[in-house]
Amino acid sequence: MGHLIGKQYCQEHVLEAAKSIALAVHKAPMITGKTEVEVEVIWGEDLEPIIEVMGAVGQLMRYVYWDYETIKNCYEKGENPVIIAIGGKTAPSNLAWDCGSCGFNTCKEFNKYAKDVMGGGQLGGPSCNWKALDLHIACDWACASAWQYKIDNRIMGSVGFALNALDFIPNMNTKIGLALGPPRDLVYYSRDEMHKSMTYEMDKQDIFNCIPNLFTAFPGGGTPVYKTKDEWWAPPEFMSIGQSPEAMEAMQQIMFEQIPEIIAKYSDKIQDRYKGKKE
Amino acid sequence: MKKYEEDLNFRGEEYVNEWTPWSPQDIRRKKGSLEAARLMLNSALTAPAAGGVPSTEACIVYGQEEIETIARKIEEIAHQKKSWKEPFLYEAVMVRDSDVILFIGNTRCHESPLDAGCGQCGGGLDCSYFYDQKEHKYGIVDTSNRSSDKDIDGPLCSARVNDLGYAVGSALWTAHTLMVDARPFASVGLAGMQLGYCRGSGMVVGVPMATKAKNPYVDVNVDYHLINKDRVLDHTRKIYQTTRIIRGFDYRKWIPKPEKSDEEDK
Repeated sequence: MGHLIGKQYCQEHVLEAAKSIALAVHKAPMITGKTEVEVEVIWGEDLEPIIEVMGAVGQLMRYVYWDYETIKNCYEKGENPVIIAIGGKTAPSNLAWDCGSCGFNTCKEFNKYAKDVMGGGQLGGPSCNWKALDLHIACDWACASAWQYKIDNRIMGSVGFALNALDFIPNMNTKIGLALGPPRDLVYYSRDEMHKSMTYEMDKQDIFNCIPNLFTAFPGGGTPVYKTKDEWWAPPEFMSIGQSPEAMEAMQQIMFEQIPEIIAKYSDKIQDRYKGKKE
Repeated sequence: MKKYEEDLNFRGEEYVNEWTPWSPQDIRRKKGSLEAARLMLNSALTAPAAGGVPSTEACIVYGQEEIETIARKIEEIAHQKKSWKEPFLYEAVMVRDSDVILFIGNTRCHESPLDAGCGQCGGGLDCSYFYDQKEHKYGIVDTSNRSSDKDIDGPLCSARVNDLGYAVGSALWTAHTLMVDARPFASVGLAGMQLGYCRGSGMVVGVPMATKAKNPYVDVNVDYHLINKDRVLDHTRKIYQTTRIIRGFDYRKWIPKPEKSDEEDK
């Protein structure tokens, strides 16, 4: 007998569904049949280091900022987002296919290269591309599984960056995160959480920055005017290209100062969880 | 108002049996697989993609000659590398046992990377691993030289390869949901590339599918390229024919019967 009332039990169930979704990752078909894939489920206070890293990167990248604000706001409201962390061993390659898709002529040469740079990219890498395919077929099965459970979800490189920086799933070299729930429509698409977080001017500036040729006036003169306002000819405005010491400085500061500080703060706590755990 | 005439003639009988191969009732069944392949293709298109960028192309191939051509190409590739020989030869048998082949490719992994510095291709913090090995100007890759001696002209943008993984994964999820047997194969993808399917793609995965009593892609025996259903059936035809001719008699005049026992005689 029982009677479930309210929304809390649904929020709690997102975690149970996450475990089922992890099963889908492990069940996903592989091309090589030889790619190691691991799945972890992270929620509650243990999201805090991930949110903190995303917050730092979000200052540099709008899409990371979007994901950061969404997950952070949901978490702070007690809406229980759950992260499914998925990692794959995309290097070294044990295939001996020598297919060339990685850029090397042989798997042996790739493996020698990979040994030196393992896990060094934002999301990890380097990758045997057949193993990358296996990993992301599995990630797709996580997404598809979440859709079948009718839980709003989005696969996120931004979370993958945080997982990699904080060394979650330490045995794997390429990582990505699937954000799950809370149980309602449109958490990660047409995001309620982002309402009123940007101004009309910010949106307009983003569009000018990202799609400048939509606003290019007659280019025959060689230095076209940009139609940045209704009366765009009075006075005319032009675009220029150059280096941005401010942007580079911000990137250096965030990537090589802020983020290492966050990693140092949480590293022992996270790594302690893996001690003595096989599989 | 124009009437939907098909409904006025809504009647028919459709007998379906998977045996014998390529007979009308088997082709009727194969058409069901084709419907599933079309839905799988659509699922590949709706799969998640980095930045929401469209980069998937796909091709559905079916028919006795078409499938045999793909199987033969896989056999040709199989003999090029020791590590490919046995698995690829097994997979050529599986292709012959398939109803439809779905090729899924990514049109950007070799020529228009994500450019996000994710590092998945080469493990660094920028996209130099990719661009340093490509002929390009201002990051615009020249793909016109197609004379590569590699099977796949890498390096590829691994973020786009991931997108291919999502596309293939969604196609397979739909197959799974529809209870259609399907598996992704590198061998089929490589054969497809060489035959010109999905020729705008830098990497192609082949997904054969079938709707038969036994899933063609699992539970195979050792030396499957030599010992498989087609071979067993062909061998049966061979052995049985010879067995007949060494036992010939004129059935209109005499048919051998079991000898009657003494008790039956009484």
